Amino acid sequence: MNFVKAGIMDNTTRKSVKLKFGRELITVIALLFIVSIFTVINSQYIQGNNLLDIIDQTVINGLIAIGMTFAILTAGIDLSVGSILAIVLVVIGKFLVNGTNPAVAVILGIIIGFILGAVNGLLITKMKLQPFIATLGTMSIYRGLAYTITGGQPVLNIPKSFRSMLNGDIVGNVSISIIILFVFAVICHIILKKTKQGIYMYSIGGNEEATKLSGIKVDRTKLLAYGICGVGAALAGMIMLARLGTGEPAAGQGYELNAIAATAIGGASLAGGKGSIPGTILGAILLSALKVGLVVVGVDTFWQYIATGAIIVIAVYFETIQEIISSKMKSRKK
Amino acid sequence: MGNVDFIKFDHIVKRFGDNTVLKDINFHIKKGEIHALIGENGAGKSTLLNILHGVYSEYDGELIIEGNEVKFKDVHDAIKFGVSKVHQEINLIPELTVAQNITLGSEPKKGLFVDYKKINLDASKVIEKLGCNFKATDLVKDLNAGQMQLVLIAKALYHNAKLISFDEPTSSLTDKETQKLFEIIADLKSKGITILYVSHRLDELFKICDRITILRDGTYIKSVDVKDITKDELIKNMVGRDVSAYAVRKKERCVQKEVTLEVKNLESIGVFEEISFEVKKGEILGFAGLVGAKRTEVMRAMFGADKKTKGEVFLNGKKINTSHPYYSVKNGIGLIPEERKTQGFVKYRTNFENMSLSNLDKFSNKGFIDYRKVKKNAEEYTRKLNINPKDINYLTEGLSGGNQQKVIIGKWLTTDSNVLVLDEPTKGVDVGAKAEIYDLIEELVHSGKSIILISSELPEIIGLCDRVMVMKEGRKMAELNQNQLSEETIMKYAMEAE
Repeated sequence: MNFVKAGIMDNTTRKSVKLKFGRELITVIALLFIVSIFTVINSQYIQGNNLLDIIDQTVINGLIAIGMTFAILTAGIDLSVGSILAIVLVVIGKFLVNGTNPAVAVILGIIIGFILGAVNGLLITKMKLQPFIATLGTMSIYRGLAYTITGGQPVLNIPKSFRSMLNGDIVGNVSISIIILFVFAVICHIILKKTKQGIYMYSIGGNEEATKLSGIKVDRTKLLAYGICGVGAALAGMIMLARLGTGEPAAGQGYELNAIAATAIGGASLAGGKGSIPGTILGAILLSALKVGLVVVGVDTFWQYIATGAIIVIAVYFETIQEIISSKMKSRKK
Repeated sequence: MGNVDFIKFDHIVKRFGDNTVLKDINFHIKKGEIHALIGENGAGKSTLLNILHGVYSEYDGELIIEGNEVKFKDVHDAIKFGVSKVHQEINLIPELTVAQNITLGSEPKKGLFVDYKKINLDASKVIEKLGCNFKATDLVKDLNAGQMQLVLIAKALYHNAKLISFDEPTSSLTDKETQKLFEIIADLKSKGITILYVSHRLDELFKICDRITILRDGTYIKSVDVKDITKDELIKNMVGRDVSAYAVRKKERCVQKEVTLEVKNLESIGVFEEISFEVKKGEILGFAGLVGAKRTEVMRAMFGADKKTKGEVFLNGKKINTSHPYYSVKNGIGLIPEERKTQGFVKYRTNFENMSLSNLDKFSNKGFIDYRKVKKNAEEYTRKLNINPKDINYLTEGLSGGNQQKVIIGKWLTTDSNVLVLDEPTKGVDVGAKAEIYDLIEELVHSGKSIILISSELPEIIGLCDRVMVMKEGRKMAELNQNQLSEETIMKYAMEAE
C-alpha cells in the first residue's frame, strides 16, 4: 500500500497524463472480456438482437449515471435520483393523462428534474449540508411526494403518442430512447470538456478552495451540476413512463446505486475531480452486458447481485493497481 | 561514544519507474550527533527519510543500523525499532487525546480492552519530561502547531527512540516555540538520542547541528562538520551553482505616485481589528508579523474569500465589490495562498489547465474553450517563468514546490491581475527557485503591478519591500518605510507588549 502511495506522490502521476485514455480503455477491455466470455458459453449472446437488448437496457441507468457523473465530479453524490425519477414519472404521467401535449410534457419533465436537482444543490451550497446527507433527506422527501401526488396509486393509461415519441423504433429495432441517451451523453460530454462550467466542475472536485480563490462562483457551478443530475433522472423517468405505460410512484428505488456503480466502473473517483461521460456510459453498458449475459447463460438472478458487486470492487481495485502496473512496465522497458 | 557509526546508508538506490531519485547514497550518521540533511526540493531528502522510516520498503543497497542490516516493513516497524519521525505535515489524529496519539498502535491492554489508566499515566510521564503545558487527556485538535510537535516528540520517546528525524520542524512554529524546540533537541542529544534534521532554514543548522550532509539531484555530495563550512559554501554545494539566497532588489526601486489599491477600515470582528492600507503602482508592500498575526486573514477578507464585518476596497480610485473572489479577480486582484496543495492548485489537472482556470473567458469562443489558445498561453508562461518540466501536459501536483508556485503565478499573469497578494510565496521552496521568485516579484513591480507580500522570513521582507506593515494578533502595530527596516525594529513591533 505504501508503495502505491509513493508512486502516486512522486513520479507516476506526472507521467499518468500520458495515459490519458488509459482509464476508458480499461473499461473497454473489461467489457470485451465479459462479452467474449458469455459468447464462448453461449454464442447467441453476440447476436445483433441481443446486443441491441443490452444497449436498450442501458438507457435508463445510463441517463441517471450521466447525471450522477456531474454530482460525483464535484466531490458530491446524489442519492435522490431514484426519487426524482419517480416524481417526474407520476407528475408527467398525470399531465399526459389530462391531455398535455407530449412534447410540452417532456420539456416540463426536464424542468422539474432540473429544479429538484437544483434544490439538492441549494441544500448543499447554501445550507452547507454534506451531499450524502442532503440527498439522503431529499431521497425520502421526493419519494414521499411521489406517493402523495398519486395517493399511492399508479398513473394508468399513458397516451400512445407519448409512448411512441420516446420509445418508438426509429431504424429497424433501434428505439428512440437509445438516441436520446446518445444525444444527452454528447451534450454532457461537451459541457464537461468544452465549457467553462464543465471545467469548473472538474476543478471543484480537484480542489474546491483553490477554485474559489481563482475567482469562480463555486456555488453556482455546483447548483448547475446537481440540476443536470436531476435532468438525467427526469429523462430516465420519462423513458420509463413511455416504456411501461404506467406511472408507479414506487419506481426507481435503488437506482442511485446502479448509477454510482456505473460511474465508478467508468473511472470516476468518489473523492471528485476524476471521471468522464464516455467512461460512465461504458460502465453502464458493462453492467447491462453482465446482467443480460447472466440471463442468457441461465444463471440464477440472485447471482446477478454478486456478479455486479464483484465487478464494482474489481473496477475500483484496478484503479489502484493501474499506477503500479504502468510504473513497472516502464522500468521493464528500460 | 561520539564516534560510533549509528546509521550507515550503504549504496542506497531508489527508482520510481524509469526515474532514479536516489543514486548510490553513501554516508553515515554518528551516534548521538545532530546531523543535518539538506538539499533543494527534489534532491532526494524526503525519499531518503522515507526509506529510513519504512515508508518505502523497496530499494537497492543496505540500511545498516548499529552494525546490522535492517529493512523496515512499514512505518510502525521502524518506530518499534526506535526510529521515529517528527513530520513536516504533522500526522496526528485530531479527535483522539494526546495519550491516545502517543500510544497509537501499541496500546497497553488489560485483557481484551485498552488500559486507559496506564496509557494516560505513561503518556503523562513522557510529556512531563518534555515540559509540555498540556495534559495527556487533552484532545489533539485543541492544541496548536507547536504543541502538536511536542506530542510527536513524546510519541517517539514513548517508543524509546534511538533516532528521531525532524522534517522542517520550525516551518509552522513561532520564534518562541522554535527556541523551545531547540532546547528540547539539545536535551535529546544529551540523552544519547541521534537526531537527523532536515530544514530549508540554513541559519538554524548553524545553531544546532554538528554535521551536515548535502544531497543534490539524488546524489550524495558531501558530509561536513558545521564549523568547517559557511552558509555561502553550503548553498553553492546544494544548488551546484552560485545563487544568491538573499532577497535583494537588483534593479532600481520603481514606486509610482498612483495608488492602485486602497483598503479602508477593513474589519472582521473576532479575527482582526480595523485596518486600512494602500499600495501604489510598482510598489511591494510587506506584511510582517509572527504566526497568529492574522495577516492571511486580512488578505482573505479583502479578497472576498472570507466574510468581513465591514470595510471598503478601492481599485484605481473606484470602489469595488469584494463579497466573493469572483469580483476581486474580475477587477484584477490575484491571491497566491500560503497552502499550495490545499488552496493553490487543483489536483488531477495539468499545468495548462491550472494556469487558465481563473480566466477561461479569455480563451472562450462562443462559450466553448479553445484549447489551442489555452495551451499557447501556458507554453508562453512556462517559458517566461522557467517552469520545469517544460511540458505543459504534466500534472501540477507532481511538480516541485517552486515550480507549483510558478504555475500559480502563471495563472494570475494569465488573468492580467494588477494587484497580487503573495502569501509566504517561498514557503517550502528550494533555494534556487526562491531566487527566481524574488527576481520575478521585482519584474512584476517593474511592469507596473502592485504586490502585497506576506512573509515570515524577515530577510525577505527587508530585502524586497518598499514599505512594511507590522501586525500582531489582528492589529496593525506599525507602518515602516524602507529606510526604517531592520530585523530588530520589525521584531520589536511584532512582539511588542500591550
